[in-house]
Amino acid sequence: MPVLSNSQKFDLVTIMNAHIPHAALLGIQVESIEREELTLRLPYQTHLIGNHETGTLHGGVLTVLLDQTLGMATVCSDASEPSVTPTLDLRIDHLGIAPAGMSIFASARVYKATRKILFVEGIAYCESKEKPIARATGSWVRVAEVDLSWIVSSDKDAASP
Amino acid sequence: MTSRSNARDKPCLETLHHWLEKIPYAMFLGIKAEPSKKDIIFILPKNKKFIGNPSLPALHGGVIGAFMEQAAALHLVGSMDAAALPKIINFSLDYLRPAQLRDTYASCILSRKGRFISNLTITAWQEHINQPNAIARAHFLTPETN
Repeated sequence: MPVLSNSQKFDLVTIMNAHIPHAALLGIQVESIEREELTLRLPYQTHLIGNHETGTLHGGVLTVLLDQTLGMATVCSDASEPSVTPTLDLRIDHLGIAPAGMSIFASARVYKATRKILFVEGIAYCESKEKPIARATGSWVRVAEVDLSWIVSSDKDAASP
Repeated sequence: MTSRSNARDKPCLETLHHWLEKIPYAMFLGIKAEPSKKDIIFILPKNKKFIGNPSLPALHGGVIGAFMEQAAALHLVGSMDAAALPKIINFSLDYLRPAQLRDTYASCILSRKGRFISNLTITAWQEHINQPNAIARAHFLTPETN
């Protein structure tokens, strides 16, 4: 099983993301993939506000974005083959506030893969990764492998010839 | 637990509704709160827009988490004369069963209401409370009182 290239991972994650109705509803987009790190973007929307006086986003919206990002980062891991992975658990520390009017980014990567469990960590931020507004860790269970034959055979810059 | 602390800890439905209507995201999720025999039950009504896995279909785990966090915050402000909504410190969530496309319920226990920090445990279920879909713990900064 070759390690997928960045562009193959981007195609895979973009298709997965588009097939998740709630992610599409919130306008969650794939921002970038850099090796094993996936970044998603959530545009600011007034119906996602938690504090009506300040216009800041609801903490629960970060839960949705981080669950989505950490969960999809599992298919970007080079240490295991892309799998169908339901969430086992998720822990979020709220380090700051998501400011009004700004898109939120979330980046995540698998830091340990075992045969059955993928351990993932990630952050949510607005302006800079150096100033995260939330930090998440969680574990995902590998229940079935994803068929990648279509993406490996169709991609021109596959990692192996 | 004494009956006095029970009375204090059971949230006031009217207070809770006052806050619920001020939260755009809670309105977007369509969260409702209803009294039960001893407590308050929060409801996330069945809605196709919450689907995370269309092939099962199952609700998005993040939405279940957001609903549980919101339930905990409302339970807390419903239990006191709060001047503002509580700020979340951290949230820890265990997923036990996929949530089907149907109504989801949550109930909370205010494990500790400290002067500065409050701890709540939350259970979310669909068919029966003894078969929860998810369980969670949350810490909040306790809001100041009026």
